[in-house]
Amino acid sequence: MNLAQIFTDLVFFSFAAILVGSALMTIISRNPVRSALFLVLAFFAATGLWILLEVEFLGLILILVYVGAVMTLFLFVVMTLNIDVEEQRSSFVRYLPFAIVIVAMLVILMVYVISPGHLNPSELTTTGGQPVNYSNTTELGMVLYTDYAYPFELAGILLLVAIIAAISLTFHGKGNNKTQNPDQQILIRREDRIRMVKMQGDKK
Amino acid sequence: MLFETILTYPATPEIFLLGMTCIVLLADLFIKQQEKKITYWLSQFALVGTAVLVLLLYNVPSTLLFNGSFIWDKTAALMQFAIVAINFFILIYAREYIRERKIPQGEYYLLSLFSVLGMLVLVSAYSLLTLYLGLELLSLPLYAMVALQRDSTECAEAAMKYFVTGALASGMLLYGLSMFYGATQSLNITEIAQVTSNLSSGQELMLIFGLVFIIAGVVFKLGAAPFHMWVPDVYQGAPTSVTLFVGTAPKIAALAMVVRLLIEGTPALVHQWQEVLILIAVLSIALGNVVAIVQSNLKRMLSYSAIAHVGYMSLGLLAATPDGYASALFYMLAYALMSLGAFGMLVLLSKSGAEVDKIGDLRGLNTRNPWLAFMLLLVMFSMAGIPPMVGFFAKLGVLEALIGAHMVWLATFALVFAIIGAYYYLNVVKVMYFEEPEIQYPIVNRPIINVAISVNCLMVLWLGMFPSGLIDLCRAAFAM
Amino acid sequence: MNQLQTIIYAIVLFPLLGSTIVGLWNKKISCRGAHWVTTIGVAISFVLSLYLCYQIVFAGVPTYNFNAYIWGGSGSYQFNIGFLLDNLSTTMLVVVNFVSLLVHIYSIGYMREDDGYQRFFSYISLFTFAMLMLVSANNFLQLYFGWEGVGLVSYLLIGFWFKKETANFGSLKAFIVNRVGDFGFILGIAAVFNYVGNVDYVSVFNIAPSLATQTMTVFPHTHWSVLTVICILLFIGAMGKSAQMPLHVWLPESMEGPTPISALIHAATMVTAGVYMVARMSPLYEFSEVALSVVLIVGATGALFTGILAIVQNDIKRVVAYSTLSQLGYMVAALGVSAYAAGIFHLFTHAFFKALLFLAAGSVIIAMHHEQDMRKMGNLRKYMPVTYVCFLIGALALAAIPPFAGFYSKDAIIEAIHHALIPGASYAYYCVLLGTFVTAFYIFRAFFLVFHTEERMDEHTRAGLRESTWVVWLPLVLLAIPSAIAGIFLVGTILYSPTGGLLGTSIFILPQNNVLASLAIDYHGPLLLALDSVFSLPCWLAVGGIFVAWLLYIKFPRAPAYFVEKFSLIYKVLLAKYGFDDFNQVVFARGSLKLAKVFFEVGDVKILDHDLVDGSGRFIAWCSANLRKLQSGYLYHYAFAMIIGVLVLLAWLLW
Repeated sequence: MNLAQIFTDLVFFSFAAILVGSALMTIISRNPVRSALFLVLAFFAATGLWILLEVEFLGLILILVYVGAVMTLFLFVVMTLNIDVEEQRSSFVRYLPFAIVIVAMLVILMVYVISPGHLNPSELTTTGGQPVNYSNTTELGMVLYTDYAYPFELAGILLLVAIIAAISLTFHGKGNNKTQNPDQQILIRREDRIRMVKMQGDKK
Repeated sequence: MLFETILTYPATPEIFLLGMTCIVLLADLFIKQQEKKITYWLSQFALVGTAVLVLLLYNVPSTLLFNGSFIWDKTAALMQFAIVAINFFILIYAREYIRERKIPQGEYYLLSLFSVLGMLVLVSAYSLLTLYLGLELLSLPLYAMVALQRDSTECAEAAMKYFVTGALASGMLLYGLSMFYGATQSLNITEIAQVTSNLSSGQELMLIFGLVFIIAGVVFKLGAAPFHMWVPDVYQGAPTSVTLFVGTAPKIAALAMVVRLLIEGTPALVHQWQEVLILIAVLSIALGNVVAIVQSNLKRMLSYSAIAHVGYMSLGLLAATPDGYASALFYMLAYALMSLGAFGMLVLLSKSGAEVDKIGDLRGLNTRNPWLAFMLLLVMFSMAGIPPMVGFFAKLGVLEALIGAHMVWLATFALVFAIIGAYYYLNVVKVMYFEEPEIQYPIVNRPIINVAISVNCLMVLWLGMFPSGLIDLCRAAFAM
Repeated sequence: MNQLQTIIYAIVLFPLLGSTIVGLWNKKISCRGAHWVTTIGVAISFVLSLYLCYQIVFAGVPTYNFNAYIWGGSGSYQFNIGFLLDNLSTTMLVVVNFVSLLVHIYSIGYMREDDGYQRFFSYISLFTFAMLMLVSANNFLQLYFGWEGVGLVSYLLIGFWFKKETANFGSLKAFIVNRVGDFGFILGIAAVFNYVGNVDYVSVFNIAPSLATQTMTVFPHTHWSVLTVICILLFIGAMGKSAQMPLHVWLPESMEGPTPISALIHAATMVTAGVYMVARMSPLYEFSEVALSVVLIVGATGALFTGILAIVQNDIKRVVAYSTLSQLGYMVAALGVSAYAAGIFHLFTHAFFKALLFLAAGSVIIAMHHEQDMRKMGNLRKYMPVTYVCFLIGALALAAIPPFAGFYSKDAIIEAIHHALIPGASYAYYCVLLGTFVTAFYIFRAFFLVFHTEERMDEHTRAGLRESTWVVWLPLVLLAIPSAIAGIFLVGTILYSPTGGLLGTSIFILPQNNVLASLAIDYHGPLLLALDSVFSLPCWLAVGGIFVAWLLYIKFPRAPAYFVEKFSLIYKVLLAKYGFDDFNQVVFARGSLKLAKVFFEVGDVKILDHDLVDGSGRFIAWCSANLRKLQSGYLYHYAFAMIIGVLVLLAWLLW
């Protein structure tokens, strides 16, 4: 095992540790702003892993789109709304032991399946070893508009749908105009409009 | 020549539908219209056109397009036609309902068209990527549609639950797919099927690991236990017109996912997914039928019945024979038809101000509108599996397949629970016919709607009396 | 379609058509309409069957066997509906139609002013249809259809006056006892299907000789000839339908139905179905000596012992009913010695004279205002001369006095049994021989009590006594003629024709069993036969019977009472009908009732209803109520459930 290999492993494990740790903190930290920031950190760590795999384009996109745009917007919303999450924590704590057991079992299973004992790493082809002038971005662009044109189009439609769905859920018509609605007016009943309140009166 | 090429190009229906959907979008935005008539008719035109294109394509031999990520075969043709036809009926039923409840009509039509597009894509998907995209394209509009009635908190709650659990399931599916990709180095189902036939044990273990997550994602979409939790809440919480949508065509698309991923993608792992499906089927049949009994809300009862029906359908799948697959497909189509009739009836009976969603609301339906009562009776009998309705042959088919696969105990189990299930279906009939109505005035619908629901319900009877045509089509879909 | 095919369709379908019209529109159709529609239907059927019979028997048209259509399929085998038209079936068609037509006409008078007039005519036409289907079938399945059809109508008609409790009881009894027989019958058919793989007569008959050598295990460690088992099972069916001991108990009770029914169903046609069936199956029975012996012994026993019972009856119809039992015994005994032709011959003559006796009794009953007790009659010859003469002819025929019809047939049977070598033949011979004496005695006892002796009816009845209307006595006269002379004309062609005669080749007899052929050597024409009989024992016994009856009831009217007192034990046994009824009542009826009660209370109410049905319902409801709690409504529960689900599935697969 040469030095370069050791160095790569070192980088990988530190990024992986940061990723898992910050993802965990995203979930368990009390302050939403802090969670969001941990999420940003997680994205950074993921970017590090991707660049380690020589997919620099995806890594950069991750930072540009998620950290630069999505998370900023997210933080903005969270700070504006000032959500109080204290109430939900009680049930979180109550279910925590149970959850930990389940997660632990899942993790054990995963490790069991992906452990070297079962999975020979040599069976999996590895990336890397590309020539110096190899451009990940160019290659991605090449296949994206040829072999993967169909999924690419579908993804486009998906985004369109997301826009339509978001607008249809939030857009409430043109302003607050004061037109009357005769339908509603006819249907009104006496009970809806006035409430007879029996006063106690002053006598005592 | 060009025209002919277009008509024999297997992706034409999807392209046509997408184009029409964009036109509907623009028309809805820019043309001022009363009661969204133009949007409605354009949407219906889009569906009919798509259906016609699918029919014209039926005899085109199996082809792979787009670098192997799109398949056209008999399964796709049959499912696509069923999906489009069902949505044609859904729009007819839903129109009045959404208008009366101030659900944004244009958006409803648009989102449903997009969802249908997603279903078509999913049905024809032949790579993990398109499959996933199709699934998302199908689901995303559904989440929005559930929440479309903005003034209702129940709808919002249902939508939230649907969205979060859906996202979770989708994450699981994606995780499973990534395992597949990792083990086989391919996204393409043809290649995956080839690779899986000779695997090292380590890779196989990884595949099985991924398989479980994939099944979880797929089964979530089908709505079978133990991934069924969203079903009752969403069915009940959503506006009935949306429940109608959620409870019918997407199930067929989800079946397509099973067909592509399990039957065609991993025939080498048949013993593994067979075992998982047995567990799922048993759980679904038992849970669905048993819990449906105590429901007083009709939509909720039907949601549990849906869980049970999906369980029955998966009996056909786990028989793991071509006949079994065909019977599962037949079951799904039959169920979609019955479910369309049942929820459609609820939509039609719900007039402004009087939502019909409790079983008690059907009291004395026979005196209020004998014909509709009779139609609902046909559907209920069919769901209970009473001959000569189509539901009987659907059950018969899967049971035959099971016995053919020497799983008699499972068939017996299914039969016992079918009897338990008959209780709550017949209860509906009892309420309709033998109890006095609370509200006396008769139910009047527009003639076109009456014709639609009658055609729908009489199809249930017709396909039950002459099932061989549809059975043959289903067999042809899985002819080896 | 060829002409015979058209005719047979018309023959069976016209009665059905009449029955359907009257049955479905019985409120709309008037009484006149009802009897016209049905009677014309049967009349057409009768005329056509005469023509058909002429074609087949005399004009030399060969036996015609065809399948009309496929009724249903099971596996690879298809069940046909088809017809076999040969001498035997076409002659039977004529007899059935003839008696049925006369009963239709007679009923117009007899059933007048009955509430269920239309219903009645619908039933008897339906019966005719079922009987014709039975007779003309070319396979076991259709035979069974007709068999059950006549059984059903018989049940409906015995219980025709369903407000009468005895009628209900009688109809139930008939139905239940017949079920016992039919159970054997269907087992027999099933055995045929099992071993032959086919239920068409022709293919079964072809394979019969080889069946005789095959064996099967009915009980462990026993080997039975397949053919014997089949024949005996089929014969059990015949025992039910043709009221052979010990399944005869329903027939006397069946007299609760209207008298025309007693004549049509329970004397002339339905009860002979068993005899017809055995004759039809002669190619099977011939190869099984054991089965033939069983048939012979059952028949002969019935012939004697049920005849004796008729002596102590006081109800005029019951006397005739027991006599029917006895005569059926003769027919069956004839079958047992392979004298199928003699059995069928007796069936024909019996159909005529027994229908005559029943209808004459019915005529008496109408005149007596539905009084059936002979002790309240007497000297009716003064009031009803036509009925008197007809009854006398019937009685003479029944008593086998030459040259009346009954003589030829019964004499042939007795002689055949006398010459037979089959095991049990000598026992049977004494039975049937004594039977002739008994027969003559009881029928003339009834005759004297009704038509002679002093008048014992009350004043009111006496005032109303007069001869019945023409629709009632015309059938009597029409039946009296064949009862008197049919024997003379038919004996030669049926029994002793060297070329097969009337029955042609329908019946198959092994040469070594052919007793009738040996009798034929001594046959020199009907009149000589009648003269010869003066020197034969049966004839003297018959005459002796009549004489004793005259002695006891005319000459010394007080003698019967003396004998009753003297032999009170025997008399009681006879009154109790040898205890068959009581035995059935105590052992089968009450026993099964008790058994049923145990099953009901423990099995049904306790285990099934309470524990299983209600219990499972309760259990499901309980499960349901608890399982629904799983659906808590909390999102994180749902998510959690999904993850647990995945975990369980993973564990399920990976371990």
